[in-house]
Order: sequence, then C-alpha cells, then structure tokens
Amino acid sequence: MKRITVLFLTLLVIFTLTSCNDNTEPVPVEVPEGKPEPVSAEETVITDKELTCTLSVRCDTILDNMSDFDKDKTDIVPKDGVILGETEVVFYEGETVFNLLRREMKKNKIHMEFNEVPMYESAYIEGIANIYEFDCGELSGWMYKVNDWFPNYGCSRYKLKEHDKVEWIYTCDLGRDIGGDYSQRNGKDNE
Amino acid sequence: MNEFKMYHPLVNFSYFAYVLGLACTGMHPLMLALSLFCSFLYMCIINGKKALHSLAFLLPAMILTSLINPLFNHEGMTILGYLPDGNPLTSESIIYGLCAAASLVSVLCYFSCFSSVMTSDKFMYLFGKVIPSLSLILSMTLRFVPLFSERLKKTAEVQKCIGKGLDEKGVFRKIKNALRILSITVTWALENAIDTADSMKARGYGTGKRTSFSNYRIEKRDIAVLLYILFLGTYVIIGNISGQTDFSFYPVIKSTPITMYSISVFVSYFLLCMTPVIIELWEVRKWKYLRSRI
Repeated sequence: MKRITVLFLTLLVIFTLTSCNDNTEPVPVEVPEGKPEPVSAEETVITDKELTCTLSVRCDTILDNMSDFDKDKTDIVPKDGVILGETEVVFYEGETVFNLLRREMKKNKIHMEFNEVPMYESAYIEGIANIYEFDCGELSGWMYKVNDWFPNYGCSRYKLKEHDKVEWIYTCDLGRDIGGDYSQRNGKDNE
Repeated sequence: MNEFKMYHPLVNFSYFAYVLGLACTGMHPLMLALSLFCSFLYMCIINGKKALHSLAFLLPAMILTSLINPLFNHEGMTILGYLPDGNPLTSESIIYGLCAAASLVSVLCYFSCFSSVMTSDKFMYLFGKVIPSLSLILSMTLRFVPLFSERLKKTAEVQKCIGKGLDEKGVFRKIKNALRILSITVTWALENAIDTADSMKARGYGTGKRTSFSNYRIEKRDIAVLLYILFLGTYVIIGNISGQTDFSFYPVIKSTPITMYSISVFVSYFLLCMTPVIIELWEVRKWKYLRSRI
C-alpha cells in the first residue's frame, strides 16, 4: 500500500510541476512616435549616478465626485486633494517610475499598495494613501503622467530621465476627467 | 447532561439559526468575543473534557487565519513595517484577521454543538412537511453514506480472510484486489437499492398521502423558550440593521458610539447565545435541589 501511495504522489508532483506555466503571453505595446519605448523591468540596471526629477501625487478629482466616493473614507481625502505636492526628488540612473514612487512613498510615510501583473510585465498601483482603485465608482483608479503624456504601459517599464515631471493622478472616469484617455480614443486628438 | 436536546426541534433550530447567522455576519469585536466565549462554553458543556482536545485544532486554525490576512490585505492607516514583497503591514489588517479568525472558530464550535443537538430525525421532522420529497431524499442519502462505508469495510475484511485483501504483496495485485472489493460493494449497493424500493412499494409507498411519525410534542416550556429566543434574536437583528453594531476596519478603526441602545443590543446578544447554557445550569440546579430533598 505504501509503495502505491509513494508512486502516486510522485506522479502527482511531476504532473503539477510540468503543468505550471509562467510564460503568459505579454501584451504588445504600440508607443506613439517620439515617445519613450517601454523597458523590461528585469533588464534595468540601476547605477549610483544621482539625477533629479519632480514628483506629485494628487486626487482632486475625488472632490468633484464625493457622492460616489466610499463613505468610510471621506475623512482621509486631503482637503485640497494633494497627497504629495510637486517636489524635486533624487533618483538613480536606470530607475523606473515605480522604483521612484515606492521609495518616495516610503520616505514620506504615505501608504501605497501594488501588485505585479505578468500580462503587462509591470507593477500595478492599487492604492496610494488608502485611496484605492474603484473607491469612487467602477471607473476610478490611479494613472501616471510623465511630461504631460500618459504612457500606455505600466509604471515599472518607464525609464526615468533627468528633469522628468512625474505626476500621479486619481481618475474617477477611466482617465476622461484628467485628459488621459487618448489610448481609448486610439490616438485621435480631435474629439 | 444535554437538556437543550430534549426541547422541541423548533426551539433548537431557531436558536441555531439565529446564533449561526449572527456569528457569521457580525464583525464587531465585542460580538465576536461574546459568540466565541458562549460557543466554546456550550461545546465544553456538551462534550465534557473531550472538548479541550478540539482546542488543539481550533487554536492553530485561529492563529493561521489571523496571520494570513495581513499577508494579502495591505489597507490601513497605521503602517507597522514593510513586508518582503514591498507592500506595507498594517495593524488594521492584523486586527481584521483576528476578528475573521474569531468568527470562523465560533462558527466551527457552533456547528459541533449543532451536530450533537440537531439529529437527522429532528431535521426531517421540521422540514418533512415543507419539502416532503427533498426531505425523503436527504434522509435516504444521509443513511446511505455510513452504510456504504461500513459495507466496504466488511467486504475488505472478508476478502482478507480468503487471501485477496489489500495487504498483499505486489502493486498490481493490490490494485486488482481493491477493484474487486469496490466492485462487490457497488453491486451490493445497487441490489440493496432495488430491495429498498420493493420493500417501500410493498408497504404502500405512493398509494396515498405520505405521513410521518414523530414523538415531539410542544410543551409549555418549549413555547416559553421559543418566545424568549425569538424576542432576543429579533431585537439583536434590529439593532444590527439600525447600525448599533457597526464596526469598520479600513482605513481607520471606527466603531459606533456606546449608548444605552447599543449596550442593550450586546447584552441581549449575550443572553441569546447563553440560552442553552442557562437551561443546562437551571436543570442542574433543579436536580440538586430535588436530590437534597430525598
């Protein structure tokens, strides 16, 4: 009886190990002309060279949609909608927007939650300062903007350059209320 | 020792329905602490010292559940530190994990009490008139499972005696013997089903309206306890709906202010959960009094 059990268990283990498949097909990204291409998060090399850029985190669109906002969280929304005002921050060459955000939020003791999304090969920011996605309706969440352009790939694939202006803005309408919906309009600017 | 079992099935069922529903849905730490205390106490009263053995299972389950929540949930204002995957560890998620664990353990204790108080014939009596065909199927299925496993054991023993048991040497021989035992038991089960059907038909199943015998009568004390349970249960439910026991964990821990109304809701919840314990203690006291008079 014991030998049958051992044989069965080894077959089960071999079967489960071979059926695990981490190679989900990554989604191809089409970047508009003139905009930075996404980098691979695993291939980034971070050097010691210090550069500066600016970072800000805002959620003022919630103030226009307080009726949709989660009732338990109304007192943690900042009165002016600014979680982190525009500050000049130091980053290291090779870092991505995600590395910068994570370090700055930890430094300023602001809560931030993220998870990894293998399909988009990037990290996804679920919530900053306890304001989460879907807290202001089903179309709400966090989006990021670099030099007044909303990249159409994840924040851990955008490689920072000197003097970049990084803004994290909370949208209550899938990006339409903050001007970040051109990827949905397929790049058409005249609408 | 189990006096609550002697009451009418309706009393038993209404008590467990209220108490399980409130233990599952309540999230206020005080209510969870009360239900945990009362359920564990009742389990100890029913099972005696053996209930302490179940602690060996309940305590690890509670600790495991309360530790798993902070690993996956990172909401909350007070950040205690950062986990290896980069997300923050918040005290609100730890407390939520503790409350969820308390809810789980109290429901487990209540189910153990439920299984010893509400036997299958009481269940059948209550639901026989409401859903007659389903209750018949349920009772036959509930009977079938232990019968089948008992038969399987007997067949295995018999086969062992003639040298075709499960402890023979050789993988293929063992598989062959196991399949033979299974085939014998399944054949017996099918024949038994046909025999049962024939016997039911011979005794007049399907000729008229189905009646069922039950020796449960409603007594005055049943009505008194039923009214007590219903009154307290409805009071607690109304208190819950009107927000007296609201408790939110994220982003900060907030509870409703303590007023006379909310205190009364908690006290009535405690009295509701303690009903069987009160009945047991009352009976013990009455018994001691009667014995002292002899």
